[in-house]
Order: sequence, then C-alpha cells, then structure tokens
Amino acid sequence: MAYSFPEEVLEHVFSFISSEKDRNAVSLVCKSWYEMERWCRRRIFVGNCYAVNPKIMIRRFPEVKSIELKGKPHFADFNLVPEGWGGYVYPWIVEIARGYPCLEEIRLKRMVVTDESLELISKSFKNFKVLVLSSCEGFSTDGLAAIAANCRNLRVLELRECEVEDLSGHWLSHFPDSCTSLESLNIACLLSEVSFSALERLVARSPNLKTLRLNRNVPLEKLSTLLQLAPQLVEFGTGVYSAEIRSDVYASLTEAFSGCKNLKGLSGFWEVIPAYLPAFYSVCSRLTTLNLSYATAQSPELTKIVSQCHNLQRLLVLDYIEDTGLNALALSCKDLQELRVFPSDPFVADANVLLTEQGLVSVSEGCPKLQSVLYFCRQMSNSALITIANNRPNLTCFRLCILEPRAPDYVTFEPLDAGFGAIVENCKQLRRLSMSGLLTDRVFEHIGTHGKKLDMLSVAFAGESDLGLHHVLSGCDSLRKLEIRDCPFGDKALLANASKLETMRSLWMSSCGVSFGACKLLGEKMPGLNVEVIDERENLDSLHESCPVEKLYIYRTVAGQRFDMPDFVRTMGKDGGGGVPIKC
Amino acid sequence: MDGTLGLLGGIHGGADGGGGGDGGGVPSCGSILTNSKEDDTMNDQDMLAEVSSSYPVDDDLELGLGLRIGGGGSNAIQEGSRILRPNSCSSSSSSSSVNITNSSIAGFKKSAIDSVSPPNAASVVGWPPIRRAHRMPILANRIKSERKEYSSRAKSYLSVKVNMDGTLIGRKVDLNAHNSYETLARTLENMFYGRLSNTETIGRSRLLSGTSEFVLTYEDKDGDCMLVGDVPWQMFVSSVKRLRILRSPKSRNCI
Repeated sequence: MAYSFPEEVLEHVFSFISSEKDRNAVSLVCKSWYEMERWCRRRIFVGNCYAVNPKIMIRRFPEVKSIELKGKPHFADFNLVPEGWGGYVYPWIVEIARGYPCLEEIRLKRMVVTDESLELISKSFKNFKVLVLSSCEGFSTDGLAAIAANCRNLRVLELRECEVEDLSGHWLSHFPDSCTSLESLNIACLLSEVSFSALERLVARSPNLKTLRLNRNVPLEKLSTLLQLAPQLVEFGTGVYSAEIRSDVYASLTEAFSGCKNLKGLSGFWEVIPAYLPAFYSVCSRLTTLNLSYATAQSPELTKIVSQCHNLQRLLVLDYIEDTGLNALALSCKDLQELRVFPSDPFVADANVLLTEQGLVSVSEGCPKLQSVLYFCRQMSNSALITIANNRPNLTCFRLCILEPRAPDYVTFEPLDAGFGAIVENCKQLRRLSMSGLLTDRVFEHIGTHGKKLDMLSVAFAGESDLGLHHVLSGCDSLRKLEIRDCPFGDKALLANASKLETMRSLWMSSCGVSFGACKLLGEKMPGLNVEVIDERENLDSLHESCPVEKLYIYRTVAGQRFDMPDFVRTMGKDGGGGVPIKC
Repeated sequence: MDGTLGLLGGIHGGADGGGGGDGGGVPSCGSILTNSKEDDTMNDQDMLAEVSSSYPVDDDLELGLGLRIGGGGSNAIQEGSRILRPNSCSSSSSSSSVNITNSSIAGFKKSAIDSVSPPNAASVVGWPPIRRAHRMPILANRIKSERKEYSSRAKSYLSVKVNMDGTLIGRKVDLNAHNSYETLARTLENMFYGRLSNTETIGRSRLLSGTSEFVLTYEDKDGDCMLVGDVPWQMFVSSVKRLRILRSPKSRNCI
C-alpha cells in the first residue's frame, strides 16, 4: 500500500526536475505519477520530428510552454541529405497552434521552415517569447517581418546559420515602437544589409538586450554606436571587422568596448583588419567565449589575443592560430573547456599553416578542464592521441578530422586504431566521438569494449568488414546516434543487431554496402522503425534486391511511416511493400 | 522479440547474392591493413573467439563474420567481402576463420604505404565535414590572403619624407624597417643628431616623451597634422604620409 503526498506537494517537487530523462523516469513510477507529471511538464524535446506525432504529444502533455524539434539528420549539414528529403515544420505548427495557445518558446534545428509557418507562429501564440532557428531553411525576411510585427512580447529571436532568402532589410522596422522586451537578437547569418537606423532604434529601446549578434554588413564604423546604446551586453557579435584605418574610428571603438563591463562573449570578426584588433583588448580578461572562426587574423595576432583571455572557457578559431598560438592558449587559459579549430583552406593538400597534432597535445597538457574538442588538421599520430588520452581522461566530446580520408599515422604509417582506442579507453565519460584517418575493424573493437557512455558516433572511410559495425552495435550500451559514410559495412551486422536499432534515435549509413533487400527485410520485421532508403541515382521501383543502396536512414518511431517524402525516398517494409510515397 | 536471430532466417540467400553491387557509391577500400607486422594471426583468432563467445551463435545465423567454422559460412564471408572490398584478404578464407597470413601482411603493408591514395579530399561530397557557414568565408579568405601577400610584397619599402624645423634639407626614412615608435624615434634622432638635443641614448627617446624642445608629428591621409604615438603602430604606418619634427608647442601652433 502506498502512501502518497498530496498532489500539490508532488507537483511542487516535480517542478524542480527539469531534465527530460528524469521526467521520463518519474512518469514511469506509477499511474498517478504519470498523470501528475504529464500535466506539469512544460518543456518538450523531440529529437526527431518523425519519431512522434504532434497529436500524440499534445494529448499526453496538455500544458506545454516550450518545444524543441529537430528534423534532418546531422549529415545534412554536409550536403549528404538531398534537398526535399523532409523535415517540414508546418504540420507541427498547425497542431501546436491548436493545442498550445499559451506556448512561449519554439526551438527548431535542421528543419524546413516556411514563411507560412512563421506567420502562423506569429499569430497563434499570444504570449510568444522565444524563437530559435538553427540550421533551418525555407523562409525569407518576410517571415521574419511577421514575427517582428506580431509577437508583442518577443524576447529572443535567434537565427543560427540559417539560409534565409533576403528580400529586404526592412523587416527589422516591423518591430513596433512599443516592443521593448528584446533580450537576444542574432541575425549573423543574414546576407544582406539590414536597415541600420531600424536596428539602432531597436537596440536603443531594448534595455534588457543581453545578446546581439550582427551580420557581416553592419560596418565596423557603426559598432561603437550600437555598443554605446547597449553597454549592458553580455554577448556581442561584430560584423565585418574591417574598415579604412582611421584613428577616430579606432578610438571610439576602443572606448565603446571598454564601456561594456558585462561582456563575456564575442563573435563575428569576418575579414579582420589586424590594426583594429587591439580595440577590444580591454574586454579580453572578462571573456569566457570567443568565436574567431571567421577571423582571418594570423598567428601573432591571435596569440596576442588569447594570451589576454585568462578566463576563456570556449574558443573557436581557424587554424591560422597555429601550434604556437595553441601553446599560448595552453599557458594562458587554464579554464578552457571547449576548443574548436577549423581549417582555413581545407581543399589544398599543403596549407601554409603550421598547425599540427602538437597544438592539440599542448592544449591537452595545459588545460585541465578541457572537455570538448573539435579539431581539423592534416596529420596525426597514435602517440599524440595516446598522449592526449592520458592527459585528458575527462574528455566528453572528441571530434578529430584529418583532412585527407584514410590518412595513416604520419610517423609509423600504421592505422590510428591504437590512438582512438586509447581515447575511448581512458576517457570514460566520452559521449561523443568523431573519427577520421586510417582505421581498421580494431578501432571498433575498442569502441565496443570501452565506449559504454558513448551517445553519438560519427565514422567516415573506416573499417574493413561487418565486424566493425557489429562491435559498435553490440558493445555501445548508450549509443543513440550513429552516422556512417563510406565504410565497408553490409547487411550482416545491421540485421544481426536489428533490435539495437530500436534503442537508438537514428542510424545513418551512406555509401556503404547495405543491400536493398536487407532494407526491405528490416523494414518488414521491425514495425517500430522507419527504414528509409534514399537513392537519387536509381529508380527505387526497379532496384534489385542485392543492390547496395546509396543512403539509408533508420529511426525509431511511434508515428508510423511518413507521407511527405520525395520520390527518391522510400520507407521500406510498410504497407507490405516498398512503401510508396505520396508526393507532397 | 528476438530481433536478431529469428530475423536472419530469410536472408541467407538474398543479401549475399552476387557481387552485383556497384562501384558507384562504394569506394575502393583497397589496401587497408589490419595488423602491423608484429601482430600474428593469434590476434585474429582471439578477436573472433571473443566475438563468438559474447554473441550467441545460431545455426540459422548467417553473419559471415568468421563465427561460423567451415560450411556455408565461409562462402558468405567471401561473397560479402567481394561486394565491398575487391582487395580483401578473405581470399584465403576457404578454411575456418579469416586468417591473415604473414605474406599477405607484408603485401598489404607495402601497398598501404604506397597507395593510400584515398579519394581526393576536394572531390568527395560533404568532406571534410564543415558546415556551410564556415565554408563560404574560406574561399573569400583565400582570395584575400593571396591579395594581401601580393600587396605586402609590393610594399616592402615604405619611405616617407622627414622635415625638421629650421633645416632646409629633409631626409627619408623607411617605415617598414621599424616595428615600433621607439626605433623610429631613435633613427630620427640619429639622422638629425646634434640638432635635436644633447641626447643621452639611454632611456626613452626624448622626442616621444615630450621632454625635448622638439615634437614629432606626422601628416595623415586627410592632410591633418597629428602627434606621433597615439595610435597602434600598424595603424600609424597605414595612415602616415610624411613626418615633421617641429619645435615644441610654445613656439608653434600646429598641434
């Protein structure tokens, strides 16, 4: 017999539980907890928009205030998902407009968002506050104008790396004069010019503005104007950081920056003129985040900057920083948690930048809190990887991209199995891993044995046989996302581990060796999975059983197959056949 | 539901069927070597044993991972491999397990070194994995840096005129030979030695510190007369047109 607290007490306790995982666990305890929990859940995260039906969601959770949806698979970022594949948000907006009139927040990632959707959002939720679109596409500045005009209490409007059709810079003027609630505005991805006077007025009447990320077209000369209107900013993204060199511009910029006492994060910096860099030196010691990943400054300038950022926690930078700059980083930034180094010229064999594995080794030695790494380089060795693994067993995210596919250890010419093996073995909390270079089935054995906390694995041009895939699918207990390209994995491991796929969010395999017949079989036997075959080369109706498919995307779902697919996508095994799509 | 074992009853014939496949989407994985020279075949068998013990073997199971000893299994290995890896080592697998003999190790190793000529990074779709936002600036930067290199080579000698109050004959100084105000000032003092002051060469240049009876100024792009030393060096170099050493403000009203 269970005694229970009154509902109000339990509800109050539940209100402290915010993580989805914990909430899901709470709802499994007993019927009454399930009931109580579902009424007080306020945030929903849907990692795959095709995994669940919005109607089901609304029925179970009637009082949601915040929704986050993700659409296309991660490899869509690299052009591997053909256009038209899917990820349309409109059907979701229609349902949640009906079901959640009090919704306040919408966050979308890798979805196709139309102007219609934006308009519907702007008109359906009277208390709408937050719109964050990451890597989305399909809309224009007209849609943004609707949001600006109709969302009276808008606090956050962030466009992160979206593809927006720029029809006019005047959409900003659609924010009514009465709108003073803005806290965060990120328009960095917009390609054309926004009306500066509208921007200026907006900033001037937004006393709570904490984040402002401009796009390239806001000239350097105008930055000081904005900074002086908003000295309370915490995060600031410049436009193009270049202008004719004038000492008056320099002086006012310097003064404006030093007036921003709360500035913790800087970004932007397209096309840097080095002479203007010292203008923000005064804020360096307070910075916790610095995104210089578009900055064309050279190593000496970058070194000078990082050497002053003693509180830096997160750095994004181009490989112009070189090993010397990373050495300086290791010496100066003891709080560093995340490092991302991007290639300035990825398509040439020999770049002029002196960035090697050594830079990463230095940072791993010098920065005890380093947890997350994304590193593009041209050479790597097992010994460097082993050193990194020994230095930093606290790594949670390790993504290494050696630019040349299948590049071996540049010293010994061996595969990099031992190096990556050391990473998974030593870094027991590793949740995310991306590998590159020459890799055999051995590395997968290591991953299967040691990668028990691994949540996401990205593999390219690696492995030799199905044994590799089998190791991962059978060994990685926490695996939820697996994405593979150009690896010699076929049907066997996939079919042998079919039930594993139901415990994962999704599996992507492209340019591998999985046959059409195996996909059909999988789709037929596993009703809880959507097995999507994506093939633009062949007519899917005439594909032979033994033919390897071009791309395969498998995800678990309770929503059944979808019906918004283009003709080069089939959901296998549903409706007793190849799952004929309806053109939408 | 036992999703794994029961599932595979049907695929015995199917999936392994011809090396049909294609070359198209599947790259030649050619000469990838599993083991270094030191490793012997024992390792493979250990590996296989480990896999087979952790994974329940079913007679119907057609994994082709080397778990099946003899019989139909090995055919499957060969077939499967042939689809995917033309140069696979399973040509020797007519017997029990996938065995890499020493000779093939040597052979593979050689070719691993010679011919790791994987797809050229530039021609592979979606490789390297960089998001669009980071791709565009890259090309623009390359063009820019090429231009910068060119123009900085052309400007390797940047000389400006220097005139001093009370001196008819001016001098020229190469600004690119200096990287700070200090060295410039010292050079100027040396050039006009004896006229500036009874200079002690230790300590900061008196021209810059304001303790000399002369003051160092420059004419900028706009034609204005400016005091030297206010802006960062690089900025100064980009905007200076000529230098003038003037008597101190008490006697001139320039500044």
